[in-house]
Amino acid sequence: MSIAEPKPTGKARRLPILPQRGKVSLFEILLLLVCIGLVAVGLSPTLRDVLLLTFLFAGLALAWNIAGGYAGLISFGHAAFFGVGAYTSTILLVHFNVTPWIGIWCGGLLAAVFGAVLALVCARLRGPFFILSTLAFAEVVRIGALNWASLTGGPEGLSISPAPSLINMVFTSKTTYAALMLGYAVLVYAITKALEASRYGYYLFAIRDDEDAASAAGVNPQLGRTSAMALSASLTGIGGSLFAQYFLYLDPTFVISPEISFQFALLPAVGGLGTAIGPVLGSFLITPLSELLRSNLGNAAAGLHLVIYSAGLIVVMLYFPGGLAAAIGKLARWRPFS
Amino acid sequence: MNAFGQLVLSGILIGSIYALMSIGLTLIFGVLRVVNFAHGEFLMIAMYGAWGISHLLGLNPYIAAIAIVPAMFLFGALVYWMIINRALDKPHLVVVFATMGLSIFLQNIALMLMTADLLDVPPIFSQSVTIGPFYFKVELLLGFLITILCTVGLQWMIRTTYLGKAIRATVQDGEAAMLMGIPVPRIFLITFAGGSALVGLAACIMLPLFSVFPTVGLNFVLIAFVIVVLGGMGSIEGALLGGICVGVVQSLSSYYVSPALGQMFFFILFLLVMIFRPNGLLGQKGAANIGMND
Repeated sequence: MSIAEPKPTGKARRLPILPQRGKVSLFEILLLLVCIGLVAVGLSPTLRDVLLLTFLFAGLALAWNIAGGYAGLISFGHAAFFGVGAYTSTILLVHFNVTPWIGIWCGGLLAAVFGAVLALVCARLRGPFFILSTLAFAEVVRIGALNWASLTGGPEGLSISPAPSLINMVFTSKTTYAALMLGYAVLVYAITKALEASRYGYYLFAIRDDEDAASAAGVNPQLGRTSAMALSASLTGIGGSLFAQYFLYLDPTFVISPEISFQFALLPAVGGLGTAIGPVLGSFLITPLSELLRSNLGNAAAGLHLVIYSAGLIVVMLYFPGGLAAAIGKLARWRPFS
Repeated sequence: MNAFGQLVLSGILIGSIYALMSIGLTLIFGVLRVVNFAHGEFLMIAMYGAWGISHLLGLNPYIAAIAIVPAMFLFGALVYWMIINRALDKPHLVVVFATMGLSIFLQNIALMLMTADLLDVPPIFSQSVTIGPFYFKVELLLGFLITILCTVGLQWMIRTTYLGKAIRATVQDGEAAMLMGIPVPRIFLITFAGGSALVGLAACIMLPLFSVFPTVGLNFVLIAFVIVVLGGMGSIEGALLGGICVGVVQSLSSYYVSPALGQMFFFILFLLVMIFRPNGLLGQKGAANIGMND
C-alpha cells in the first residue's frame, strides 16, 4: 500500500515564525542570536549574574519538562538530582582532583541512576501520590547528604577552592560562565527538540495522555517513564554541576531544598508544560524578575520578590493554564482584521 | 525497657498532635480530591495569630483557639472562593501549582511582616505529670485529649448529621449527589473551610510546644503528607493511626539512631507504604486512584 506523500508546498518549507513541534523556527533563531549578543555585550556584573542564572534555570526547567511536561511525571524532587550532580563533580574535583569536564558527565550519569530508581520506586503511583513520593525521595537524599559528612561536608557544606583555570572549570570572567550556561541551555533545548519529533517523544506523549491505550498499542509505559525520568534527571544533574562550578560552594539545605524543586517545576508551568519553548519563556520572564527584585528590594523588604512572583504564578495558573507558550499561540492565531 | 516505654508513649502523644494537624488535609483531600500544598502555611498563619493573641492580650494559646478557629474557617472560605473554586474544573496540575504559589505567597508575606525570627509563648505549665514510671508534658497530654475528642466528634458528625451524610454522598458520587439536591459546591466550601479551621485548632495546640517562623509550615506539611498517605487519603481515623506511627517512629529513631536521621526514617516509611500499600494502612480500596482524573 502506498500513499503518495503530499508534496511540500512552498509555504510549509519556509521557516515557521513561531515555534512548532520538531521544527526550527525564526523565533528560536532570533532568541538564540539575542542571547549570544547579550553574552558578548559588556553588561554590568549584576546583569551578567542575572543573565547566566536565567540561562542555567532555562536549561534546568527544560530538563524538568522532559519528565514533567512530556512524560507526565510531575516531580517535586528534582533537587535531589540537582544535588547529586553538583556533589558528584565537586567531590571528584576536591577529593580526587578529577577535572569537572569529566566530573560533570559522572554527575549526570549518577543522577540518571537516581532518576531511574525514583521512577521504579514510584512505578505504580499516579497523580498526587507520585508528586508526594518525589518530594519524600528528595528529602531522603537531602538528609542523607546532610549526615554523610565525611563525603559531603555535612551541614558546613563543601567549597571548591582551586585556582581559576580551564581544566578546573573555574573562571574569573563571568562572560565565560554565561557562555557555558548558554551552551548548557542550548544543549538541553536541542535534546528536547529532537525528542519532540522522534518516535520516542511520541511514545512519551502517548504514555502521558492515556497509559492504557499506549500500552495496548505496544508502547511499554514502564520503560518510557523510567527512561524519561533518567534522561531528565541526568540533564538536571549536569545543571547541578555547572551551578557548583559557578557558586563554588555547596550546602545540602540549599542545593537539595524543596524550594529548588518547586522552582524547577514552576518555570515550565508558567511558560507552558510540554512545549520546548515554554520553560525557556518561563525562565526568561521569572528568573530576571525575581533576581532583579531581590537585588533592588532585597534589604528593604525581604521576600517581596517572591510575593510578587507567587501572586503572578497563581494568576497565570488560574487564567492561562497553558502557560505563556499557549498565550503566544493564541496571539498568533488572533486575526483582528479578517 | 523504661526508656523504651517512655519513648513510645511520648511518640504516641506527639503523633496525635501531628494527626490533628493532618485531619484537615485528609478531609479536604477526601472530599475535594485536591492536595492543598499551602496546608502548612495555613498552620503557620494560625500559629502567628495565636502568638499575637497571647502576646498582645496575655491570653494563653488554648483560649486563643476561640478566635483562631472561626478566623481560619473564614480564611479557608476566602481561599476556596478565590483560588480553589476556580481551579477545580481545570486539569489537576492547576490546583497543585496554584496552591503551591499560595504557599510561597503566604510564607513571604509572613517573612515581610514578622521577619524570620523564631517566636515562642512563655511556658504555660511549669510541671510535668507523672503516671507510674512515666513523665508527660501537660501540653502533650492536652493535645492528645483534644485530638481524640476531635476525631470522635468528626466521625460522629460524618456518620449521623445531615451535613455529614451530604459530605459522604459527595465523596461517593458528586454528580448523583447534585442530582439529589445536595449543593455540592457549598459542601466543598464547607469542607475546605472546616479543614482550615481544624488546622487553626492544631496551631493553638502546637504553639506552646513549637516556635513559629515563616517557613515552619514546610517542616510540618511534609509530616502531614506522610501521615495522610499512611492513613489512607481521606480517612480520619487513618490520620490518627498514621500520626501515631510517625510520632513513635520519630521518637524511637531519634533516641536510638540520631535525631537527624530520625526524620529520614519516616520518609523511608512513607516511600515503603507508597510502594507496598498505596491505599494506606486503613485506606479503602481505590484511595490511590483519587485525584487522577486529569
